[in-house]
Amino acid sequence: MNNSSPPIRRTLMRMIFLASGVVLLVTSSAFCAYELLTFRQSSIQQLQILSRAIASNSTAALAFENSDDATVVLAAFKSDPHIVAAALYDVHGKVFATYPQGLARDRLPARPGAGYSFGRTALVGYQLVAEGPTQLGTLFVESDLKAMYSRIELYGLILLLVAGISLSLAYLISRRLQHRLLQPILALADTTRAVAERHDYSVRAAPTGAYEFDLFTDTFNHMLVQIQGSESKLHAQLGRLGLLQHITRATGERQDLPSIFQVVLSSLEENLPIEFGCFLLHDATAKSLTVSALGPRGRRFADKLGLILGATVPIDANGLSRCVGGQLVHEPDVVQVPFPFPQRLAAAGLRSVVFAPLIVESQVFGVLVCARSEAAAFSSGECEFLKQLSEHVALASHQARLYGALQQAYDDLRQSQHTVMQQERLRALGQMASGIAHDINNAISPVSLYTESLLEREPDLSERTRSYLTTIQRAIEDVARTVARMREFYRERDAQLTLERVEVNRAVQQVVELTRPRWSDLPQGRGAMVDLQTYLADSIPDLMGAEHEIRDALTNLIFNAVDAMPNGGTLSVRTRKAMVADGEARVLIEVSDTGVGMDEDTRRRCLEPFYTTKGERGTGLGLAMVYGMIQRHSAELEIDSTPGKGTTVRLNFPAHTSSIISAPKVRNAAVVKRRLRILLVDDDPLLIKSLQDTLQEDGHVITATHGGREGIDAFAAASKRGECFDIVVTDLGMPHVDGRKVASSIKAVSPKTPVVLLTGWGQRLIATNDAPAHVDKVLAKPPRLHELRAALAELVE
Amino acid sequence: MEVLTRAKCLAVAAALVFAVSGQLLLAADAPTENQVQAVFLFNFSRFVEWPTQAFAAPNDPFVIGIVGNDPFGARLDQAVRNEQINGHRLTVRRFRSIADVDNCQILFIDRSETGRLGQILSALDHRSILTVSQADGAAQQGVMIQFATEDSRIRLRINVESARAAGLTISSKLLRPAEIVGAQAKEQ
Repeated sequence: MNNSSPPIRRTLMRMIFLASGVVLLVTSSAFCAYELLTFRQSSIQQLQILSRAIASNSTAALAFENSDDATVVLAAFKSDPHIVAAALYDVHGKVFATYPQGLARDRLPARPGAGYSFGRTALVGYQLVAEGPTQLGTLFVESDLKAMYSRIELYGLILLLVAGISLSLAYLISRRLQHRLLQPILALADTTRAVAERHDYSVRAAPTGAYEFDLFTDTFNHMLVQIQGSESKLHAQLGRLGLLQHITRATGERQDLPSIFQVVLSSLEENLPIEFGCFLLHDATAKSLTVSALGPRGRRFADKLGLILGATVPIDANGLSRCVGGQLVHEPDVVQVPFPFPQRLAAAGLRSVVFAPLIVESQVFGVLVCARSEAAAFSSGECEFLKQLSEHVALASHQARLYGALQQAYDDLRQSQHTVMQQERLRALGQMASGIAHDINNAISPVSLYTESLLEREPDLSERTRSYLTTIQRAIEDVARTVARMREFYRERDAQLTLERVEVNRAVQQVVELTRPRWSDLPQGRGAMVDLQTYLADSIPDLMGAEHEIRDALTNLIFNAVDAMPNGGTLSVRTRKAMVADGEARVLIEVSDTGVGMDEDTRRRCLEPFYTTKGERGTGLGLAMVYGMIQRHSAELEIDSTPGKGTTVRLNFPAHTSSIISAPKVRNAAVVKRRLRILLVDDDPLLIKSLQDTLQEDGHVITATHGGREGIDAFAAASKRGECFDIVVTDLGMPHVDGRKVASSIKAVSPKTPVVLLTGWGQRLIATNDAPAHVDKVLAKPPRLHELRAALAELVE
Repeated sequence: MEVLTRAKCLAVAAALVFAVSGQLLLAADAPTENQVQAVFLFNFSRFVEWPTQAFAAPNDPFVIGIVGNDPFGARLDQAVRNEQINGHRLTVRRFRSIADVDNCQILFIDRSETGRLGQILSALDHRSILTVSQADGAAQQGVMIQFATEDSRIRLRINVESARAAGLTISSKLLRPAEIVGAQAKEQ
């Protein structure tokens, strides 16, 4: 507001003063002018009357030329003090007498004039002096204007007085009138100022009683009401905008759905506010909604509603279905809505509800429910706000899901990478192990062959010798098995796995005894006590499996259990039989400890190869090998673990019920009766020597060749001579020309000649079905004499 | 010599002419006593009221009569020429004797008739005739207005009683500058 503009009160006063001043001035001026004019006329008249009287009295003096008398007559002018000069002229125009007596002639006009007139300083008059028709002379009279001036002064004084009084009166009256006139305006101005300064739009101007002002006041008040309404709407809008921004920011900082839902509900309950809020997730296939999040303040309503996290809400034919269809649904009063869910809300004391759909890519994936206990408590602005909010939340949820999916993909990728790397390492390890195994197998092959031959063919062996040889044979077999196991942990499934009937309780007892130093002696050395309990069920069925693998697995599990109890505890091993629904019997072996247990992440990853919680002490292969064994046995592995409570590992095997035994039989009967011409191809002289010795002892004719090329040449030379070999036994891995080439060359010359391939990689070849073409039989090193005999018998006969 | 003489002659002649003409001019400029008295005589007609019976007929002239020698000559005639008083034409008449006086409103009795003044006044006896004379003591003897010369000025002496007795009303204006004689004056 411009503070330099004068207040209306002063302006009005000025106007009134100006108006009344002008009126007063004009009136007074007219009055004065009129008075002055009248005064002049009356002055002239008075002068005329006086002059006529004097003139009349002067006639005789003039007629009879008595200037003394004329002077006396003129002296009568004394009666008027304003007459300053007078003179009588005779008929000839000569000065006859003067007043006052002896007045200088030059003060008088030289010749008499006529009539009365106002000069600058005086009123001058000429009066004819006549008696009857005869003119006798002229009377000259001069009156000063002092009278007029004094009159003017008087008028001035009166004017001032009147002006003063009337202006005072005008002031008083206008003050009084102004008060009546201005009071409403000033009151209104005060109200306006109050509104402008305090921004308080709730004040109202009071009615004044005057029609126009009341009209004005009403309009003003109406305007205030509108402004107040607009302002409160603006405030609410701003508040909601702020809330929206707050929520958007809060949701933006979060990446998972539950926390986004939770922060939205908390903000809504606190700031909108609402009394109850929840998020329902839509399951399109089940046509139901699942409670995903509940506002913290709305718990009491949630309890009454019977809504808990995970509870399902069927989609009604009303609001919820419309909402799931993508519409924002506002129920001002749920009491009026005859459907189950609104009725549930109404029963819990909620009246007005808004269902806002969460839409992502035209699909409603959830519903935001906001409720208040008063009916019709949601304004259209709030509904609009909730609609916008739901869009934001939907977007944020979508992003969170995308983020989750991305994270999952990333984790999977990392997992895959890890697995690939691991497999790569395993492959490398496996190749190395295979190489070692190959060499060991080659190295121990003569031992195996000779020992078996000696035990079989020398009946005169002393008991001690026979015992030693048997031990050597078992040791060699163990070495062979150990070498084979080196590759087992990456092996998919050993088709050649020799399943045998395993007495579970016996195997368990063996393992418990074998591991005693680990669970008993070592912990005691540290001052810890592990109490191992075995609960072995009676009449438990046997199972089919590789006993050594099962023993190894149990050993690993017991080691793990002991490691999980650094301060001691109870280690339980139990066996039992279980029946499943279809009547199939299962054998369960459980290893439980009361140790540290595993968290979820560890539990999920514990089967991964090389994953270990034991640091440098662990290889990360224990459970992986167990898992490999389980896979190969078509069994199941269950792990229950609670951090701080302990872990239970359960091995669930199918029980052996059928009588079919696929265990390899020692086919002693299958012995070739006739002499065979056998071509041996190998690069290892010791192996050739031992094979040659043992096979010659069986009566066969052996041609040993050193290396692939020599073998092929020998076969070709023999064929030319017509002394064809009955069978070819060749090593696989040889320098320059390997077993595959030897086989193909021989088949090229004589397709009917069987080829037996001996290999230190044998088990792997068998496992991957990588039997080369032209090879009729693959035998693993070290070759067993009985296996070799069986193969000869099979192929030749 | 001749020239000088002629010049002297011319100068003397011019001086004479000037002297004579100056004398003549002075005589013409300053009004004589008689001249003034003639005017005064006429002026009296303005300040005196005559009763209606003073005129025999409404059309009768207003007559200023002169008894005795006429001191005014033509001057009085000039003064009254074309003048009227209340519709009466002014006329100057010269009477040889008082007996001749019939219709007359103002009668000037010349100093020459001083001896017969009583006779004249008694002859007029209450007739509405304003009597005027320049004779000394005329007013005291009953003449209504007497011209008296004082300090070379003509003054009026008025016998109000005579006028009143004759039924004439003399205006107070006329009385102002005049000296009143008669009973009242004697009392004074």
